[in-house]
Amino acid sequence: MDSNQKQAASGKPPAANSKKRKEAPSAATGNNKNQNQNQQQGKDSRPPSSRPQKRVKFQDARNIRSQPSDAALDSDGKLDLQKFLNAREFEIKALETSMRKCKAANATRVFQQVPREMRRRTASHNAKRVPKRLRDRAKREMLEDNTPTVESRKRKPRTTRARIRAENAKRLERLAAKKRKRALEKDKAGEGETKDAPGKTTIRTRAPRPKIRRDTLNEPPKIKSKFKKRQINKTWLPTHLWHAKRATMTEPTKPLWRFAIPMTPTQKCYRPTHRASGQKGTMFWDTSYMSTARVYGTAGGIEQVLKALGLAQESLWGNRGRKWRAGTRTWSGMVSRQQGSSRRDVGPATILWNPTPTDKTSAPESSTAEPKKIQRQVLIRTHPACFLELFEELVRLAKLQTPQIHVEDLRFEIGSIELTGPGSTETLLAVLQPYHTDERHGQVFSSLVGVTNPASLPKDAVLGFSVKDPRLSYPPKRVDTASKVSDLALLETLTQWPVEEQVKPYALFDRDVRFKASNLPPQKSINRRKGANIPGREIQVTAADPPIPVIVFASRPATGGQAQGTWTLLAPWKCILPIWYSIVHYPLSTGGNPRLGGLNEQRQIAFEQGTAWFPGDFLGTNAGVVWEMEQRAQRKAAWDRRPKGKRIEWASLDLGAGRKGEIGDGLACDFEHLFGLSKDPSSSSPSSSDSAGDESMTLNDDPNAMDVDQSREEATAASTKSGKDKDTLPSLATVQQMKKTEFNALISSKDSDSSRPPPRSIIPVNITFVTRGVANACARIYRLPSRPPSPSATTVPPSSTEAEVPATDPVAAGKVGSLPADLRDQWLQKLPSSNSSSKASKVSHAAPHIPPNVDLSTRKQLMAKSLLSGNPLPYPKPSSVGINGGDHPLCPGEEDLIGFVTAGAYSLSEGKGTAVGAISAEKALDTLKEFGAKEGRLCVVRNAGESVGWLGRWEVI
Amino acid sequence: MVRLKDRYLLVNIVYTDLPPGQKGPVPDLLLYNQPTIGELKPQTILRGIRSQVNALFGDCGSGPVERSLQVKYLSTATSTFILRISRAHYRLVWAALTFMDRLPVKDGRPCIFRVVRVSGTIRKVEEEAIRRAKLLVLAAKDEMAGKAPSDALNTLFRGGKDAARNLVLVNDDHEDAEMDEGEVSDG
Repeated sequence: MDSNQKQAASGKPPAANSKKRKEAPSAATGNNKNQNQNQQQGKDSRPPSSRPQKRVKFQDARNIRSQPSDAALDSDGKLDLQKFLNAREFEIKALETSMRKCKAANATRVFQQVPREMRRRTASHNAKRVPKRLRDRAKREMLEDNTPTVESRKRKPRTTRARIRAENAKRLERLAAKKRKRALEKDKAGEGETKDAPGKTTIRTRAPRPKIRRDTLNEPPKIKSKFKKRQINKTWLPTHLWHAKRATMTEPTKPLWRFAIPMTPTQKCYRPTHRASGQKGTMFWDTSYMSTARVYGTAGGIEQVLKALGLAQESLWGNRGRKWRAGTRTWSGMVSRQQGSSRRDVGPATILWNPTPTDKTSAPESSTAEPKKIQRQVLIRTHPACFLELFEELVRLAKLQTPQIHVEDLRFEIGSIELTGPGSTETLLAVLQPYHTDERHGQVFSSLVGVTNPASLPKDAVLGFSVKDPRLSYPPKRVDTASKVSDLALLETLTQWPVEEQVKPYALFDRDVRFKASNLPPQKSINRRKGANIPGREIQVTAADPPIPVIVFASRPATGGQAQGTWTLLAPWKCILPIWYSIVHYPLSTGGNPRLGGLNEQRQIAFEQGTAWFPGDFLGTNAGVVWEMEQRAQRKAAWDRRPKGKRIEWASLDLGAGRKGEIGDGLACDFEHLFGLSKDPSSSSPSSSDSAGDESMTLNDDPNAMDVDQSREEATAASTKSGKDKDTLPSLATVQQMKKTEFNALISSKDSDSSRPPPRSIIPVNITFVTRGVANACARIYRLPSRPPSPSATTVPPSSTEAEVPATDPVAAGKVGSLPADLRDQWLQKLPSSNSSSKASKVSHAAPHIPPNVDLSTRKQLMAKSLLSGNPLPYPKPSSVGINGGDHPLCPGEEDLIGFVTAGAYSLSEGKGTAVGAISAEKALDTLKEFGAKEGRLCVVRNAGESVGWLGRWEVI
Repeated sequence: MVRLKDRYLLVNIVYTDLPPGQKGPVPDLLLYNQPTIGELKPQTILRGIRSQVNALFGDCGSGPVERSLQVKYLSTATSTFILRISRAHYRLVWAALTFMDRLPVKDGRPCIFRVVRVSGTIRKVEEEAIRRAKLLVLAAKDEMAGKAPSDALNTLFRGGKDAARNLVLVNDDHEDAEMDEGEVSDG
């Protein structure tokens, strides 16, 4: 306390203030005041309105009873142990009752009690929004709180549009009434006639089978006229109506890849997503936007096409790829196409052969001439962002084959659902019940009870079978894990994977089967059957219930390890919705239901597993370039929206050592700057500037290019022009992506001259921060600067004291404008292994720790010693982060810039910052060759617009 | 939405002298934890604190304290009360309580006001009061059974915590001298 305050205390006697007011008339107990208030209020509110009543209730609940002081004294006013005891016991009881009462009379309304995902804004105004058991209380509370309620029927239309709508509705109502009346009259008049013609039969026509043309794009499914206007420039997923209520969709005018795709659930879900995808629960997505194409023709022709798509590995076509070619495994990877002299990646694809019946395949395979002629089919599933490019390439390649093979676009024919997480297998098992009990694949699938990770299945395993309509067994029952066959049997299934014998062609490839499955009985008839059924018993399958052909395959994350795999379920487009409803409501054995995910969650999971996500992290593909361009535009728009004082001024960024301004564009992964490309596409090809401008426009909003309404002539014209496509793309599209295998081969090769990576090639990397730091998208990646050739810098060993010295003299650095010579050593000192020495030096500053259990005199001595021993701790503590004067090393120079981060955040699975990015293959190779595999992988990552970089380590993915 | 942030102070009144009219030796337990006279009302406590705050901190201190100070619970039988005060100013009240050396009534007996717990919710304060009352009950039962005289001061000041642990705690406190502004418990 201050001396001033003490003076004040002494100057004014404490009793002075108590004269201000006369003492209140004393009552017997301390809590009388409250009781008086209560009584008063009771009198005041003669017509007992609810508000004061409520207040009385709360006051009563919050009041703690207490005893007068006499209770603790015996009859003569003496201290007594027994009375003392009683008083304490009374106090304990009083406090406990108070706590209990307070909790009971809490001020929460009933709509706040329902689980968070059920709580809606409307529930506070509409009692019907809360569960039935709480409805009465909700009504009462609304009455008590005088909540304003609105009946939607009686609400007056406010906007012009709403008024017109209301008028229209009224008119239609009148019209309908008139029509009904007329029909009734007609019925009365014509009763005699109907009796006259009893033999009148109705002709039932089958629903038209949708057309699929060869070698051209498919048309989107026929839309109900009610929803037609909303799908003019996009297609809805089969589960759109469900999603639109629960997730943020893409903007109506800006669809993604010509689909309305859920971006993220409306609920907050970052951490739950992490948990559900890795530890407990399930995440699931409607990935019906993923595109599928079917290629059919002779086996030899298909092989040629696939090889031309970059599936040239020996392992695929030799003995090791036998299972894949038989159709019991999938192949997933990047497909590429020839572009001039080099190959360019198109995008990731999953390729699956349709098996031929066993009796045919068992004999040949070894004989050469015969199998080449067999008619085979291949399903290619790819991302919509690269589908058009792949499809055109497929059509072009297919036409080259003799006999010609054909391509079918199955985009709106086959939908898909993806699931990941420990409960995913369980969920699928509950929902997918094999239709035929004798199907081998169905049996194997049913025996997977107890699998908690799809990645534990054989790599790329596929199962194709038919399932019952899941609505027949809705709601889905929990899978009985107790009654499963022993773990040994499961283990044997997983290792043997007995799917090769009696393999049949997958029914999903068959157009007629798909069509039949699309005509599921309506929900009304299911409900009727359910009503007629004995309660609790499943509805029996009848002839009216067609089998639904499905293909499920498990895939492992690219990084391998313990990460969760993913189930992909392919089913006819129209069957996705019933399957979806069952998955949503499956009660997981670990509690809860599967969690909904959007596109952002997919990216989050890929990021947490340390893998690249298509298209965002694949800058070497056209789809990735388009994505990056869109992101740039979005970032620019967000930046433009901010007021001038609150946005980063790129030009005035101080990087230390006299460097001013951000390198390249701060809102972009600026590979153009890194490779010295020009930003303007038209300037790069001035000869065809006119057409180039038009076409680059169409590329920038790729959805237009995917336009299915576009006429066939246009499509063919586009395909003929595809040779020119290279010019129309922004210059970023000249950047190539390198494969991990190629890069590793380059590293291991000793000959440095012949094995250079192609110019302007990048490799995707996963960066883990060594100490601290979190990267954002567009962060810059530097390699560690190499030591200058002067001997002085190299001979001086990094000593521990250097850590305390500022990295640069700010004044001198500003003048000279050059980086310190020992910058590399400064960065290397930040490695945790070398940190131990600096830590030791820090400890010496601190006061010696006084061990416990020492007597007072030694304690005093130690204290005195520590006080006298000098070097006091600096106060305030010097900040470790500070470009000027702090001890953090400066960022390396622009010549050491090697790449950019495409996605970065604090990773919940790693417990520290990680990032996914791309770096220049050439520079990475140089660094690796110069400094070895360990030191060469160190990098410095600096966020765009910040001056502090953090040490990280990159790994090629 | 802005929430009003409060602090709740659990205060014990501790006596060291015998009440007038009491003769003969009294166990320590009873001596320290005497009941307070019934004249002490919430208003008198408030008045006493306010005047003390005014004396210590002047108008600047008494202004905010006057507005937000409230007695939530007063039990004269057990000499315990709970105060509520806005979070920014609870230290002023605490200081005033420390400087008060007698009951704020006419001819008040000498006593000390011990703040034993500061918390952001009344619930935690109540829990602490219950814990302390239970300790006292145990001590009193020991006393009645005529067991070895319990360490009344220890029950009072340490709240029954292990003495050795307290030593360690003190050592730890030495290192991070800055006390947290949040919950403070003596011990």
